[in-house]
This record gives sequence, structure tokens and C-alpha cells, in this order.
Amino acid sequence: MISLVSKRANVAAAAVATLRLATRAMLVGAALALLLPPSGLASAADGALSRDDQTCLACHGQPGMEKDMAEGEKLSLQIKGKAFAASVHNAIGCSACHADIDLAKHPAADKKKQTLREFSIAKVAVCRQCHEDKSKLYEESIHAALLREGNPMAPLCSDCHAPHAVLAKAAASGPIAEVPCRKCHGAVFKAYAQSVHGLARAKDSNGGAPICADCHRAHDVTAAASGNHIKEACLACHFNALQLHKSWLPNAAHHFEAVSCPACHAPMAPRRVDLKLYDSSARERVAEKSGVPRFESRAMQADSKGQGLDALALQSLLKEFNHDNGDTILRGRLEVDGGPEAHMLAAKGKAIKDCKTCHREGAAPFQKVTISIVGPDGRPLRHGAQQDVLQGPTSIDSVRGFYAIGGTRIKLLDILLVLALASGIAVPVGHLSLKWLFRKYPRQSSVPSAQENSDSASDKNNS
Amino acid sequence: MHKLFVHPLPVRVWHWINALGFVVMIATGIQIRYIGLIDLVSFKPAVEVHNAVGFVLIANFFGWFLFYLFSDKIRVYLPELSPAKHFAASFRQLKFYGYGIFKGQPNPHHVSVYHKFNALQSMTYQIVMLLLVPIQCFTGVLLWDVERFQSAITLAGGLRVVDTVHVLVFIFFAGFIFIHPYLASLGHTWSAHFKAMITGYEEVEDE
Repeated sequence: MISLVSKRANVAAAAVATLRLATRAMLVGAALALLLPPSGLASAADGALSRDDQTCLACHGQPGMEKDMAEGEKLSLQIKGKAFAASVHNAIGCSACHADIDLAKHPAADKKKQTLREFSIAKVAVCRQCHEDKSKLYEESIHAALLREGNPMAPLCSDCHAPHAVLAKAAASGPIAEVPCRKCHGAVFKAYAQSVHGLARAKDSNGGAPICADCHRAHDVTAAASGNHIKEACLACHFNALQLHKSWLPNAAHHFEAVSCPACHAPMAPRRVDLKLYDSSARERVAEKSGVPRFESRAMQADSKGQGLDALALQSLLKEFNHDNGDTILRGRLEVDGGPEAHMLAAKGKAIKDCKTCHREGAAPFQKVTISIVGPDGRPLRHGAQQDVLQGPTSIDSVRGFYAIGGTRIKLLDILLVLALASGIAVPVGHLSLKWLFRKYPRQSSVPSAQENSDSASDKNNS
Repeated sequence: MHKLFVHPLPVRVWHWINALGFVVMIATGIQIRYIGLIDLVSFKPAVEVHNAVGFVLIANFFGWFLFYLFSDKIRVYLPELSPAKHFAASFRQLKFYGYGIFKGQPNPHHVSVYHKFNALQSMTYQIVMLLLVPIQCFTGVLLWDVERFQSAITLAGGLRVVDTVHVLVFIFFAGFIFIHPYLASLGHTWSAHFKAMITGYEEVEDE
């Protein structure tokens, strides 16, 4: 209900913004009308271009029309009329977004933008005029965080949406190869395309198989390795997954906490253990504050040889974080090692079901260990750790919440078990041997001591 | 020699269920912990048997506990409150097992209905039955469903703490399981105490 109300509010806000732009468009249109003959005013509603837009396209529809940017790049000014006519933006027309065009001076010899990137950044504000809701979501995303950091690859509106050809729900129903995410996340897309989801999606785009935004969200996309939202996305479709796992997997609920879904469902992917610094009093992961880099410098200091933190170095790192906050612990999670690998999801029947994969000595998933903290942009910052942090006696304290029977067992306890078994066998064998050696002594009959007599007497009296 | 009824039926039933259960728990425990090194049974059936027998042993423990709680036989478990007396009796018993038994000397302890344990047994069984077995049952239940008992596990210091305690007690029992039957064979015949735990009657020398 609430979401319906909020959607209506968003639609209303968008309508107001559209109206505002439409007013501007009318003004530009009116000016254009003065220049053009009064015939052929086409309606945008029937998928045809308005006469105003046709006027623009008379020039901008010409192939090869382009503009030089200050740094030498070329900005294509060609608009494909057919695609624009079919796009959702046909309804508002050219002038809605290009209200800055002064017809009296067009084409203007205006101050050139330095780069295409600079031009696209400037246009984000134009999109925001109508798409305020999406813009707010974008501002919270990892993409916007990267943009604020000055990352030249951070995607802008026009990197994912072709503004002159944008179709309604295109991302939700188009062929997978057209998904804009693949432009930057090529390796991930390749893995996805071969996954159970990608193959199903390619076969039937309306069959319900998820594509990027279904799990990662479209505008408010956040770092996949931070938070639980990806797991929640899995469980949103596979809502009975826990029940199904409980029918065969011991401690299923704990496996869901300590093991990521693709760790078993992407059987070909390499795996690792990530030990996440966690503030147990605030009940959230420890995050690096912007401008106060603590993690990497402390990790580097503790790992002076650069071979990864060993058990003692990890303890000293934890101690330092505990100095800031007394409740910092490490929460371990078995996950796939790398983003593309996490998308190599196989069909259900191919998922790892053999407990031995993890629950035996030297199991591959425990050979790589990282320590992580949430970075300023939401992405995890990691530092490598040596494998013994999971198997030394100090792990009882430092990695107290993460344990896989067999796979991360403490070696010292193995030695104790061998000693106990050896003693358990050696004591009877030794004692029996001594008895045999002294077999010449005949067994004497019992002569109760005074003490025993008194005990027996006491028992008799009590009975 | 005369016969003395020292092991009531509930104690004998408890004992043999416990004995069999402990062997199964130790065997499956080793299999679970050392899969890959020992592969007699695969991991999952070993875990399932371990869990099922664990619950049988917990029920068995409560059977034992309730029997002694509501029986005057509880006196066999009452500790010797005088440290000097307890020490002396323990030392005498140690001396017998370490020296006297080889020279054919008689066991200084004389079994009676309310005094069936010697000083060493008395102390050992107080620790085993009132400390180690409850700890093992408790930690075992926590490990059986980690998420359900997450708050108790956190309170105890974390999953590894609970598991390490479980494994340490297991290590003790793994050694104890060999010593216990050997000591039981040191009666006036090797099978005397075994038979007694079946019939309930110990054969005691006439005084």
C-alpha cells in the first residue's frame, strides 16, 4: 500500500516535472512554428515525430553530423529518427531536454565542453529534472560513489540508457546481450551468459530468469560483497530454499549464514574464506571512514613481510581495532573468489552436495583467506591472511565464530587426540604386560583394612 | 565368595546403552572430524548417526540422573567430604594398581551396596557424570543446530569455543573408553565385573 502511494507520488512528481518541461518545449516549439510552414503537425502519441522534432531531425538526422570537443573527441549529433520516434522520450520531444538551445543562435558557437565525459556529466542534471526518484537512488549507488571519487569509468545516465532510443522496460525484457551492464562488466556478463540464469534468460526473456538488475538493483546498485542484499535477492525467488536444504543438509540454517549461495551453486568457481571485521555492539560490519584510512595501513604494519597476516599478526590487528571499539570480532564467510566467478551459477543438479568438499583436511575453499572491512565507497577492502589463521590455537579467540568441521580443525587438538588414544591403548597394554611379568606372585585373598571395615560396617548399618 | 546385588536394573540398562552409545559417538566423531583420512562411512550418514545417538544418550543420561535422584543409591556418588580420607583412600588405590596388583595383593577396596566405587572411581565418576557428560550433551546440542542456539553459542564465547570444548571432552572419552574396560577386567577374574554389570550381582569375598 505504502509503495503504491509512493509510486503515485513519484508519478505525480514526474508529471509536474514533465509539464514544466513541456511548457518550455512549447515555447521553443512556438518559436520554431514561426519559422516553419503551418502544415504537418504530427502527434507524438501515435509514434510519429512531432513537426518540431522533425525540424530538428532535418539536420540532426543526417549521417556524420558531429561536433568537435575541446580535447579533440567527436560528439555525434546524429539522431536516428525512427529510434527516437519509437522511444518513450518522443512524447516530450527534443526541446524538453535541449531547452538550453537558443534557436536564434543555433547552431551556436558556444563554449566547447572539454570532453564527451564532461558533456555526459552535465546532462545528468537534465535527466534528474524528470527522473528525480531514480536520480536519488543513483546517488546512493556504488556507481555514484565512484563518480564522486572521480573514477572516469563510473557510469552516468547516458552510459546505460541511450537517451534518444530509450524504450519502456527495455532492460527487463530485451535480449541479454543488450544489457548495458556488460559494457563495463564484460567478464561478469560472460560468466552470467553461461550460467543457469543467463541460459534461461536467453531462451525466454519473459520466463522469469533474472538479469543483472534483478539481483543487483538498477539505480541503487551497491557493492555485492557488502551486505546481505544479494543473498536476499536469491531468496526472494528461491523463497523455499532453506526448507529444501533442511531436508538433507545438517545445520542448513548455519550453512546459509556462513556460506554464500554461489560457493556451492557455482561448482567450478574458486572459493575463499573472507573474515569480515564486525562491530558486535553496533551489529554491523566495520567500515572505513572516508579520509581516515585505518585498515590498509594497520594490515600492512601487521603483515611486515607481505606474505599475508599470520595468526599472531591477525590477533594484533584485531587488538588495534578493538582499541577503537571494544567489540570488534571477525565473522567468517565462505564465498567465491571474485565477481565473475560468483555468476557461474550452474543448474541445481550440479551444485556441490558432497560434504567432503569442505569438511576434510586441506579442503580447497580454506586455502585462501582474506580479512576485509567495508571501504568508503561500500566496496570491501581486503588483505590476505595465511591459512593457519583458521587452524592455529589462537583461532579459538580470533576466528571464534567461523568453523568448519574437519576443514578448519585445530591441529593441536589432533595431537591431543593421538596422545589420548595412544595412552588409552598403552596403559592397559603396559599394565597387562607388567602383570604377566609378575605372574609368579599368587593372588592373595582379601584382608580388609580397618578403614574399609568401617566403611562396610557403615554401609550395613545404613541398609 | 558370596553374591551382592549392587547394580539395579535401571543402572545396568543405562550402562549398556551408554557403553554402546559412547562407542558409536566416538567412532562417528572420529569419522566426522577426520573424513578424508578415514573413510569408513561418508560424512553425512556419520553426522546423522552421531546426532541421533547423541539424543538417545541425552535421554539415557536423564534416565540415569532421575533414577539416582529418586533412589537412595545416590549415596554411591556422594563425595568423601574429608580430603584427608579421600586422599589416603585414593593413594591406597593407586598403590594397589601401580604395585600391589603385581604382587598379588588384594584390592584394598571392598564393594558394598552403597559403596561400590573405590576412591578413584568415585572421583572419576563424579567428574564424568556430573561435569563432562552434561558438558558434552550441552555443547553437542548447541552444535547440532548452530543458528537456533546462536545466542547461547555467542554467550559461551563463539562456535570455536563450543566446538573446542566438545572436542576436548571427546578426546578424554576417546582415551577413557580403552582404560575403562581394562580396569573392569581387574576383578577376581577378568570377566567378574562384566558379568556383574549384566546380572547385577558382584561376587564379593567372604570376610
